[in-house]
Amino acid sequence: MEGTAVAVCEILKYLIIHWRCETARISKGALLEGELVISIEALNSKHQANTLHCVTTIASAGSIFGGLVLKKFLKEIQSILPGLSAELSWTSEETSYSQDVSGVTPFQMIFEAHEKPRTLMTDSLVIKNFLHKVITVLPKIRFNFSVKVNGILSMEIFGAENEPTLNLSNGIALVVNHQHYVSTPKFGTTELLCSRIHPVLGHPVMLFIPDDVAKMGLLGELILTPAAALCPCPNVFSNQLNRISSASIFLYGPSGLPLILLNPEQPTSTTFKDTSYFINWKKYHLCMVPNLDLNFDRDLVLPDVSYQVESSEGDQTQNMDPQGQTLLLFLFVDFHSGFPVQKMELWGVHTLLTTHLSAILTESHSVVQDSIQVAVDQALEQHHQAVKAHQKLQASLSVAVNSIMSIMTGSTSSSFRKTCLQTLQAADTQEFGTKLHKSFHEITQNRFLHHCSREVKQQLLPEKKNAEQSTEDAHENSSLELLAGRAVAAGNLQSVRVAESRLRVLNRAPSRRLHVCPAAAGPACCL
Amino acid sequence: MAFAPRGPEASFFQVLDQHRASLLAALRKGGREPAGGGTHLATSSEVLAAIENVIQDIITSLARNEAPAFTIDNRSSWENIKFEDSVGLHMVSHCTTRKIKSDSPKSVKTFALILKILSMIYKLVQSNTYATKRDIYYTDSQLFGNQTVVDNIINDISCMLKVPRRSLHILSTSKGLIAGNLRYIEEDGTKVNCACATAVAVPSNIQGIQNLITDAKFLLIVEKDATFQRLLDDSFCTKMSPCIMVTGKGVPDLNTRLLVKKLWDTFHVPIFTLVDADPHGIEIMCIYKYGSMAMSFEAHNLTVPAIRWLGLLPSDIKRLNIPKGTLIPLTKQDQMKLDSILKRPYITCQPFWRKEMEIMADSKMKAEIQALTFLSSDYLSRVYLPNKLKFGGWI
Repeated sequence: MEGTAVAVCEILKYLIIHWRCETARISKGALLEGELVISIEALNSKHQANTLHCVTTIASAGSIFGGLVLKKFLKEIQSILPGLSAELSWTSEETSYSQDVSGVTPFQMIFEAHEKPRTLMTDSLVIKNFLHKVITVLPKIRFNFSVKVNGILSMEIFGAENEPTLNLSNGIALVVNHQHYVSTPKFGTTELLCSRIHPVLGHPVMLFIPDDVAKMGLLGELILTPAAALCPCPNVFSNQLNRISSASIFLYGPSGLPLILLNPEQPTSTTFKDTSYFINWKKYHLCMVPNLDLNFDRDLVLPDVSYQVESSEGDQTQNMDPQGQTLLLFLFVDFHSGFPVQKMELWGVHTLLTTHLSAILTESHSVVQDSIQVAVDQALEQHHQAVKAHQKLQASLSVAVNSIMSIMTGSTSSSFRKTCLQTLQAADTQEFGTKLHKSFHEITQNRFLHHCSREVKQQLLPEKKNAEQSTEDAHENSSLELLAGRAVAAGNLQSVRVAESRLRVLNRAPSRRLHVCPAAAGPACCL
Repeated sequence: MAFAPRGPEASFFQVLDQHRASLLAALRKGGREPAGGGTHLATSSEVLAAIENVIQDIITSLARNEAPAFTIDNRSSWENIKFEDSVGLHMVSHCTTRKIKSDSPKSVKTFALILKILSMIYKLVQSNTYATKRDIYYTDSQLFGNQTVVDNIINDISCMLKVPRRSLHILSTSKGLIAGNLRYIEEDGTKVNCACATAVAVPSNIQGIQNLITDAKFLLIVEKDATFQRLLDDSFCTKMSPCIMVTGKGVPDLNTRLLVKKLWDTFHVPIFTLVDADPHGIEIMCIYKYGSMAMSFEAHNLTVPAIRWLGLLPSDIKRLNIPKGTLIPLTKQDQMKLDSILKRPYITCQPFWRKEMEIMADSKMKAEIQALTFLSSDYLSRVYLPNKLKFGGWI
């Protein structure tokens, strides 16, 4: 398929790789920062029935593509997308672009295609998922994606610049806000106070390249680094969440670009259908089956590979919550050659990885699995320690509450008892005990939440400015979440609205959609 | 006082009596009443009120949505301890503290255990019953983990509430023994006469002792039980009557120290120590005289700065020609302990003790009291101690 989705994604990949190489020349390891606008305007074709004439524009909001030579760019794009049945044209603002411009003005390109409405809908979902995947590892890039079908506009902004991240090497930072990976309503009545995941990095391993792939001229090493995390955060949660119910795997190549372009109409690779390829699940007494039910129409990053635990009847050992936790596995493949990597070299590596991923991973199965296993073991150990700490805390609080109750109820001093009841606004001893327990619980949960956010801060590598900003916002996020929670408890809806609106500004989670959908617009309207 | 005089003649005690007179004079000069009296102990209602105040503070913190915390003095920090020669080692008034927080994963368990023990103390005081630290531990050994946890929390509570442990109705298990010219009635009405052939165990409720009666000329604190038993076998208390002997069987427990303190406060009887000529023995002697770091917050109730070192002095080893074969080389730990004692603040006002310790340090040798048996089997009770007591051989 070489429709609009593939074209957009390949062009974006090319631009990001170019952008990456240019940035690395100035500041190695710096995060890419800027905004790209992708818009598709579709109108009913005048010449073909049930077909939309789509004009796609890709533009940058600022001058971020310095060094881009336009003629060369167009030639290379057309070689990458030979099957694209459209014309690539170039427009520039004013007179700034010449053939060899150094890119001091914003960039824009346009191409056209004809597509069926259903295809355009699928393309939109594919592009959205791609953009979402990109911003979870390149959080300072913002994408403004809009689709206008016969005058009806839908727009969505993808960005995570103010979210807590885990900085990895080579200009990539993994967003650790769990809302990107697991939907919150899944955990319904269960308490969830920490909105982060806490990835454990595994040791990097060199991938073995099959001979036939190596003959294609790869001069360098491919290094895979896994990161494993349990979602939601195991540190602050109700004791009901302590089993793994699913696993999601995300594959990223050099420059933080997704290696797999998910398409609802394409089946999963045979390699990944083997659930034991990445992880030996028997070690954890789990039986995993592929999860082929990928719902594109959600605000989550869809995993490249998804497994779920096969439920067995009569299994009474697991806890009550049917949802359990998701094991998130991020696999980052990077390229090292000992020399500064050139753009086309990086592009070539990326192409090689996307086309021969299964073969490369099969060749390196043993080392990949070992490295992943270590990271998963550590993530699970983290979880286990968190459960133990939680149990210890609960036990201690119970002792504290019972001791206070013992003194309070045993006291012959009516003034003391009265003062205790009044202080906690309790009508009687029973209510006092309940409020006492609740107060201790809230205070310790708040503290553990703070401890969680500090843990993320400590994992950040030196880009202190980014870290401080992320942490400040992360703290603010936490405070706002608590504020929203307490406001709800207090029945203060106005505070909730204020808190929630500020959350939307800081977080990506809910889309901002300008959506007017008259009944006549049809399915293409719904993004 | 109707004790049959079987001891030496009155002239034997002349130097002792002079020593006692000088001690009393020093007390008067220092502004302290020579007449014995107990130290002030908190009443039950005061203890209950103190605990209720703690609980109210916790509840007030919770109502403000603040995590409650205990503020505990750092009892075992030298920066919080000062020395006064009239008291010994005691805590400074504005000492450093640490917080035991309820919202910290590291300290939440300790926070809960403090409340647990507070609630147990509350019940003991309310019901006017007593328990030992061991009893407390065994109420829920799994919860507490080990005895040391319980011991430390009880001491912290005592320090936090500024109430002596016995006012918390928690007794320490006594391991000490008494013998000699002493009679008293225990709290439950039991009459005790320590002038029997075998020694009497130090009671567990020193506070409750009443009707203490003695006309002892001196009180001898013996470091080791073996030495104490040997002196008993030699009828030392009879031969040197009227006197009292006490042993803590090594490092003294709280009740033994309280008893010694009570006897001093009540009768101002001269007190001497008989310890091995080694750093460990010297340290035990210092605990009786100046107190310990761990219990410095209760120093005023426990220390007896008037105690004198009778023997075995390092200088006695050479003076008495104790065979070198009976001496033991100082170990590395001995030397470290000796160096530590020499650096302690109270040694500066004890030049003779310092000199003795320097003799030990120079010779790099130590000796047990039992080394005197190489001179003769009863040398200790027949010659050494009587001569020391008669001629003022103490420092």
